[in-house]
Amino acid sequence: MNLLSVKNLNKSYVTKKLMGKNEERKVLSNVQFELGENKILGIVGESGCGKSTLAKVLTRLEDFQSGEITLCGQNLREIPQKNLTHLVQMVFQDPYQSLNPRKMAWEIIADPIMVVEKTPRPQAKIQALAMMAKVGLLPELSERYPHQFSGGQRQRIGIARALMLKPKILILDEPVSALDVSIQAQVLNLLLDLQKEFGLSMIFISHDLSVVKHISDETLVLYFGEVVEHGPSENVFKNPQHAYTKTLLESAP
Amino acid sequence: MKEYFSDLWLDIQKNKGAVAGLLFVLLFMILAIIAPLISVYAPDQVIEGALRLPPGSRFQEHFFILGTDDIGRDLWSRLLYGARVSLLVGLSVVFISAGIGTTLGLLSGYYGGWLDRIVIRLMDFVMALPSVLFAIVIVAVLGPGLLNAILAVSIVALPNFTRLIRAQVLAEKNKPYVQAAHLYGASSLRILFKEILPNCIAPLIVQASLGFSDGVLNCAALGFLGLGAQAPTPEWGTMLSDARSYIETSPWMVNAPGICILVVVLSFNLFGDGLRDALDPRLKNRG
Repeated sequence: MNLLSVKNLNKSYVTKKLMGKNEERKVLSNVQFELGENKILGIVGESGCGKSTLAKVLTRLEDFQSGEITLCGQNLREIPQKNLTHLVQMVFQDPYQSLNPRKMAWEIIADPIMVVEKTPRPQAKIQALAMMAKVGLLPELSERYPHQFSGGQRQRIGIARALMLKPKILILDEPVSALDVSIQAQVLNLLLDLQKEFGLSMIFISHDLSVVKHISDETLVLYFGEVVEHGPSENVFKNPQHAYTKTLLESAP
Repeated sequence: MKEYFSDLWLDIQKNKGAVAGLLFVLLFMILAIIAPLISVYAPDQVIEGALRLPPGSRFQEHFFILGTDDIGRDLWSRLLYGARVSLLVGLSVVFISAGIGTTLGLLSGYYGGWLDRIVIRLMDFVMALPSVLFAIVIVAVLGPGLLNAILAVSIVALPNFTRLIRAQVLAEKNKPYVQAAHLYGASSLRILFKEILPNCIAPLIVQASLGFSDGVLNCAALGFLGLGAQAPTPEWGTMLSDARSYIETSPWMVNAPGICILVVVLSFNLFGDGLRDALDPRLKNRG
C-alpha cells in the first residue's frame, strides 16, 4: 500500500477585495501522485508553480479546497495533530530563517520531543546529541547559537530537528538551494544515508534538475500548478513527454 | 548568551555618550540605594530657623552642602531620597507598561482579527492625545497621589510597547522557524513565549530604557502640577514646584531638583540610544 496518495488536489488563494468580486488565484489544480515506502519523489518546477504550497498543504500548515490526501490509510484532515507530527516533518529552504536565533543548537533539535513526547530536558539533550552525531555535527557544537554555524551546518540542524520525531515522510523544500555546490553534495549524500538508516520516504522539492536527478526515484514536474510529467526519474530525464519539461531540461546547464 | 552580551558590551563601549549615560544611571542608582547612609538629615526633618540658606552655609551646629528650602529642610538629603522616589517611579512605570504592553502586543500581533483591531484602535486613541494632558485627565479621575500618577504615566506609555512588540511579532510569526514549531505541534502559547518573545527582547530592552526616562519625566511633571507625589514626599517634581515662587531670591532650590531630573532623563536617553545602536543589525556587521 502507498504511504501517501494525493488525488485531484486543488488549492487556490482568495484575495478579498473591498469592491467587486473576490479574486481567486489557482495554485494547485488536479495534482495527483503517490509515494511508496522508502521512495524519494522529486518535485520540480519554476518559482511560483506551487511547489512550496504543496509542501505546506501536505504538512497541514495550509488547508486545501478540494481533493483527497490519504496518509497511511487515513484522511489527512482527520489525523490528530499528535500523530501527524510522527508521520510528516519538513526541512525548510532557508537555513538562516528556519532556526530560532535565540536557541542553542541542541535546544532546537530537542524541542520537538520536548513538546510532543514531553521528554524531560536532560534526556532530550542526550537524544539531541545522538542525532547531531548522525547528521554529521560534532556534539561539542551543541551549545552554540545558529549564527555561529555555516549554512550547511544549519541545514544539518534543520534535518536533525525534522528527524527527532522519526517521521515516515520527510518533506524537503529546496533544502540545498541556499547552499554552495560542494556543500550541496555533502548534504544530499547525508540525506541519502539517512533515508536508508531511518527507512524514510522523501518528497524532495527543488528547481534544480541536476539535484533532483541525482537523488530521486520518481520525478514530478509542476507547471502553473498542474502536473505535466510524472514517472520514474530516468524516463523523465531521458525521454520527456511534455513540451515544458523539454524546455526545462534544455535550459538547465 | 554570554558571548552575545560581551559582544553587546563591546558595541556599547564604542559609543561615548552611552557609556556616560550608563555611568550616571549607575551613580544615581547607588546614591538612591545608600541614601540613608550619606544623607545628613531625614528628608522631612525641619531645622528651626534654617530657612532658604544658600549652598555651603552654616547655621548653628548644622552644615548644609546644597542649602535648605523654604521651611528649613536639608536639600541634599531631600534630593537623595528623591532619587529613590524617582528611580522607583521609573522602574514601576517601565514594569507596568512593558508588562501589559508586551502582552497586548504579543496577543494582538499573533492572533490578529478583531482582537488586533480593538487593541490597535485603543492604542491609537491613547497616542492621539498629548501624553501629559492625558495623564492629567487620568489622575484627575483617579485622584492625585504618587501611585495614581505612576498608573497614569504607565497607561500613557502603553502604546510604545504594544506597537513595538506587535510589529515585531508580525515580522517573526511567518518565519520558517515558527512554522517548524507549528509542524511539531507546539501550542500557540509556547510559540508566543518561547519562540517569538525571545526574538523581541532586543527592541524591548531599548524601549524600556527610553521608557524609564519618559516615566521619570512625566511623573515629575505631574508632581510639578501638584497631581503626583504629595507634600512631604521628597519627589523632584514636587520640590521643583514648591521652589518655584522663590526662583528669584533662592535659585538653588529650583536648580538642584531641576538638574537632577535633567541628568537622570538625559543619561537614560543616551544609554537607550546607545543600546539601540548596538542592537540594531543594520548599524553593524556581526556575522
